[in-house]
Amino acid sequence: MRAVLIVAHPHPDGLTHAIARRARSGLEAGGHSVIVHDLYEEGFRAAMTAEERHAYHGDHPSLDPLVDEHIADLRQAEIVVFVYPTWWSSVPAVLKGWFERVMLPGVGFVFDATGKVRPGLTTVRRLVGISTYGSSWISVKAVNDNGRRTIMRAMRLSTGIRTRRTWLGLYSIDASNHARRTKFLDRVETTMARL
Amino acid sequence: MTAYVVYCHPTQESFMGAVLARTLAGLAAAGHEVRLTDLYAEGFRPELSRDDREAHLVDHRREPDRRPEIGPYVENLQWCTMLVVVYPTWWSGQPAMLKGWFDRVLVRGVAWDHPDGTTRLTPLLRNIRHVVGVTSHGSSKWINAIEGETGKRTLSRSIRAMCSRRCRTHWIALYTIDRSTAHQRQRFLERVEQRISRL
Repeated sequence: MRAVLIVAHPHPDGLTHAIARRARSGLEAGGHSVIVHDLYEEGFRAAMTAEERHAYHGDHPSLDPLVDEHIADLRQAEIVVFVYPTWWSSVPAVLKGWFERVMLPGVGFVFDATGKVRPGLTTVRRLVGISTYGSSWISVKAVNDNGRRTIMRAMRLSTGIRTRRTWLGLYSIDASNHARRTKFLDRVETTMARL
Repeated sequence: MTAYVVYCHPTQESFMGAVLARTLAGLAAAGHEVRLTDLYAEGFRPELSRDDREAHLVDHRREPDRRPEIGPYVENLQWCTMLVVVYPTWWSGQPAMLKGWFDRVLVRGVAWDHPDGTTRLTPLLRNIRHVVGVTSHGSSKWINAIEGETGKRTLSRSIRAMCSRRCRTHWIALYTIDRSTAHQRQRFLERVEQRISRL
């Protein structure tokens, strides 16, 4: 299947990018073709501009060639994978901006004749989120794991109820050791290969 | 009380601009002292950079020069007893611009500390006794419940945990704005002013 992998971390040598590389190898080992979008490397702008806001409900809501590229890849994708660190219990601003600027009306969702919102990305069959957390699993649950909810619930409303979801989290990373990280990276690769 | 209002919308000539005006009117009516930040008007950069990330464990109190551009925001956060955020809910949460403000300003030595040898955070914004979210949602309350109310929870759980132990959160939200009538929007504006003035 065709996969799009979105990575959001400013440091190319960090754990998030190591996870993204292993996720990619896993997907390729599973026979999937992968397009990687590294939001920081691409210089993806997080904030929606006033012009974009005005164009939002018009016929051409995308005003940025980079956003067009993301939309084209997303429309081809059957697997969408997000790899990011959880900050303030949610996705980093640059990934939040990706939702706002790429998942536009006509892309992420469409309005039907009665004005109700319907899924726009019905070709997506698998949704995968992989995140690192400073906090422990129990603390993450206590604050509602808002990044995970955004992907597994809000994004899923755009892909349809039959989309299967997979979540991989590495918790308490501030206290984690080399062995735990290595084990997690192996888990990412095998899970992606068997997707 | 002292209120720090953070406004996040690309323009003030929008419905959110009217919501902001009513928020300020409510605060003024109650006699609170107010400071305002308009993130878009100030051209705030929401992307946490590689430099910012490398300074992740740097205590802002010890090295304030490491993140010079956040200084004024930090000062306002330490000054206020009430933090009021006014924003439209997009994708069930705060706009990227406001999320980036959390990512870049609520750093070690400002919102939290990480005493060596522990994994638990110590809250530092103990001066804040009220966190207020004023927002509009395109979708219904029901859809937002399915999506998990992520913006509300980020405020009422993650951010509030860094504030005073007795800190209360207040949620003033208009749902289904996409299909609302002018009358409903007008009533919401009145509700904003009234509720804010009673805080």
